[in-house]
Amino acid sequence: MQTGLIVDDAAVMRMRLRDILETRYKVVAEATNGQEALNMYEHYKPDFVTLDITMPQLNGLEVLSQIVSAHPEALVVIVSAVGQKKMVFEAINLGAKDFIIKPFESARVLKAIDRLFE
Amino acid sequence: MKAEYANIFVNSAYSVFRQEIGAKLSRQSLTRKNAPVPSLPVSIVLGITGAVRGQVVYSMDTAFATSVAKAMVPNKLPHELKSLVNSAVSEIANMITGQASISLAGENQLIHLTPPAVFSGRDMTVDFLAIPTICLGLICEFGRLEINIALTEDGA
Repeated sequence: MQTGLIVDDAAVMRMRLRDILETRYKVVAEATNGQEALNMYEHYKPDFVTLDITMPQLNGLEVLSQIVSAHPEALVVIVSAVGQKKMVFEAINLGAKDFIIKPFESARVLKAIDRLFE
Repeated sequence: MKAEYANIFVNSAYSVFRQEIGAKLSRQSLTRKNAPVPSLPVSIVLGITGAVRGQVVYSMDTAFATSVAKAMVPNKLPHELKSLVNSAVSEIANMITGQASISLAGENQLIHLTPPAVFSGRDMTVDFLAIPTICLGLICEFGRLEINIALTEDGA
């Protein structure tokens, strides 16, 4: 079973994403800010990451950039309320595999993660 | 401040409440003031920078905030729910502002949001920006939601 890391500063969102993802995947860790996300990525080497953008310390785009620089094979899906066109393009250019805008449906999240492993 | 900002936030709030909470908001009032100072005891403050900048301050009473948390994370015990209330209202504010930012940014501009900060009680001390503010009053089955929009365009 593939493993995932959830990165979001909001406890309710981490809880909801965990409930959705654990129907098919194993969530190995949750991070509440950008720096914690980088540490946990290095520690757990998860198969995929769901990554918020608006967070304390490092924002999601900075985290994405650092993870992809060190691990070009990383599978990162952005899950953010800030779905401006320019932001979406920037995330995809930095290496995000998908961009899910909050609020989201469970099926949208599962479809995005399933696609990573097709 | 552009009056059209009010409609952008109204539409975002309607959409987020419908999708995330299953509640129907209605517009109750629209007033102007000199700063986004909230009038209800629970407040969520978001800063905005980029093509548009300023503050958006959401405000509600405690019962409203608890109802939002109950709707977002149902089936939680009361003590579990209590610890999630601030997170739930922060995330709702983040989603409404985030969705509004899509319209505000348009095709080519970028707007950044600060993480939401929650303040409770009447003793809070927050530095609110002295920017002309539109105060939107919205209402649903949980009570009243106030959105104070204090935004100015870059260079304005």
